[in-house]
Amino acid sequence: MSAGVSLRNVSKSFGSARAPALCGVSLDVAAGSCTVILGPSGSGKSTILRVIAGLDAVSDGTVHVDGVDVAAVPSEQRGIGMVFQRPLLFPHLSVLDNVAFSQRVSGASRAESRRHAQHYLDLVQLGGFGGRSVQALSGGQEQRVAIARALAAAPRVLLMDEPFSALDPALREDMHELLCDIRNALSPTIILVTHDRDEAAAIADRIAVIQAGALLQHDTVDRIYHRPLSTGVSRLMGGLNEILGHVHAGMHVSPLGEVPVSPGTPDGPGTLVIRHEAIEVSRCTEEEPSASGVVGHVSRVRQFGPRRMVTVSFADGSEMLAALPPGDAVQNGCRVVLTLPAAAVSVVPL
Amino acid sequence: MTRGDLRTASATRARPLRARGASGRGVRNLGVLLVVGWFLLPVAPLALWAFANDWAFPSALPSEWGWDGLIGSVRQGALPALGHSLALSLLVSAIATPLGAMAARALTFGAVPWPRAVGLALLAPIALPPFAAVMGLNVILLRAHVPPEMGLVLVLVVMAIPYTTFTMRVAYAAHDIRYEEEARTLGASRRNVLWRVHVPLVAPALARAAFLAFLVGWSDYVVTLIVGGGEVVTLPLVTASIAAGIGNDATVAVLSLSAIVPPLILLALAGRTGAGPRTDGRTAVRYQAFDYQADRDPGEQK
Repeated sequence: MSAGVSLRNVSKSFGSARAPALCGVSLDVAAGSCTVILGPSGSGKSTILRVIAGLDAVSDGTVHVDGVDVAAVPSEQRGIGMVFQRPLLFPHLSVLDNVAFSQRVSGASRAESRRHAQHYLDLVQLGGFGGRSVQALSGGQEQRVAIARALAAAPRVLLMDEPFSALDPALREDMHELLCDIRNALSPTIILVTHDRDEAAAIADRIAVIQAGALLQHDTVDRIYHRPLSTGVSRLMGGLNEILGHVHAGMHVSPLGEVPVSPGTPDGPGTLVIRHEAIEVSRCTEEEPSASGVVGHVSRVRQFGPRRMVTVSFADGSEMLAALPPGDAVQNGCRVVLTLPAAAVSVVPL
Repeated sequence: MTRGDLRTASATRARPLRARGASGRGVRNLGVLLVVGWFLLPVAPLALWAFANDWAFPSALPSEWGWDGLIGSVRQGALPALGHSLALSLLVSAIATPLGAMAARALTFGAVPWPRAVGLALLAPIALPPFAAVMGLNVILLRAHVPPEMGLVLVLVVMAIPYTTFTMRVAYAAHDIRYEEEARTLGASRRNVLWRVHVPLVAPALARAAFLAFLVGWSDYVVTLIVGGGEVVTLPLVTASIAAGIGNDATVAVLSLSAIVPPLILLALAGRTGAGPRTDGRTAVRYQAFDYQADRDPGEQK
């Protein structure tokens, strides 16, 4: 049932808008996988979904579903389901008839389409809600029904445009579990848009980071976090540390000192990036650092969720931020050694 | 302060509020009564006259009750006039409502260049004095050999379109086009989207627009008289001609009452169309309350 999706140099401009919404985006999503498109507001995330669904035509480039160019295929014949941020349940239909909508419009009888719909309501754990009016549902239940309705159309690809962003955090986690159950049961190809990187990491096989209409990186969750291809990706994923320098013989050389980098990193100028969670911070010490360590002084300590975020300043005026494990503490002015594990260090070309 | 003191204090505070609430209800009821009276008062003498064979001054009530008014109005051609009025008004409504809806949709969703100017042009028929406009139009329609019946419908449709367009623009301003996009991704053809999603969602506004267009046709006198050229005799024409005579008060009363009833029935029908709360009316606070109570356990009955 699931299908792969390929975008080739897709651009999209809207009327008189100066900047294009999408700019030469190429993206491959494997059948049965879950890709999350992550980016700030107005970056073009939703536009990607709309061109895949056929709700907007591309200005340039092509969209392929299972290897077939779908430019001439209208939205209703693409077999691509869409769940919007608002559930958009039809208010004049009952819950069951909302889920049965796709079967009804394809010509099935009322009884047959309702029987079919019941299975999908059961899948989203709302089996007993079919007879209700959609006005009698809570926000989370509405979104479950919207997902059931989209799945009942047996889409080859399921697109979800910030489907959980209006829900509170606890409900959102329930929905992530539901999505996991759906993937186990039906293995649909899912492309989900969000601006929440924790949500992206929780549900994605791969993350596509987009900014200002351009695709910056499409990679596994681990690589997006720890091997960003640019400082833009690092920042969008919440990276806080960027040290300018250059790579020479497997070492990143900067005023902080020499830090070993992954084998294969090309020589030349580059920015060292490392996640604040990956940095190990010593207690206050006068010891000299190991090969992968640098020495600095704590200039600020602040609470960061259950952890503490430590700002460490160096002799040249640069700073690094490191998140201490819960319970650990250091004081302002402390001399500390920061250990930068080679596996977590990444160098981005300037 | 003891618990008893607290109770006493709160009871003391509550009393003036209750008193204010009772007086507020009284004022409201009086207001409703006055408004209802305002609308019913002109109808009351008509209702009495309709069944009065004789009502001479200074009697407070008719001196002789009977069916003379009803028989007189039927003899004067009230029934065919009623039929013509209904047919004309329904035809005007059936044409002006979809046209107004299409214009409103195009104007709301930016499918029309210079929407402000086009919107003003569509409202123009309301601004023109009907008599002046119709005299000019009648000459054009006669020269173009347009049959009077067709000309009449044409002019009344143009006069009804401002009302239907304005009503539908208000509806489309609150209409979320993504309902239709969602339907398309669910496999609905354009026809299915129209009949299964679009029309049901705007049905209450369509009913209001249709009612207004019906009233334009139903209450028209000038256009029917001049453009219709006597070919189409409607209820207002019959009523006006009989009212111009003397001693036909009972017949005029019956004709006037029969002009009031159909719009009232339609108003009741229009009010019922699409009645009921919509999801969008819910506040964010209610959403959250629902979520916490029910959504933690989706199977739990509310």
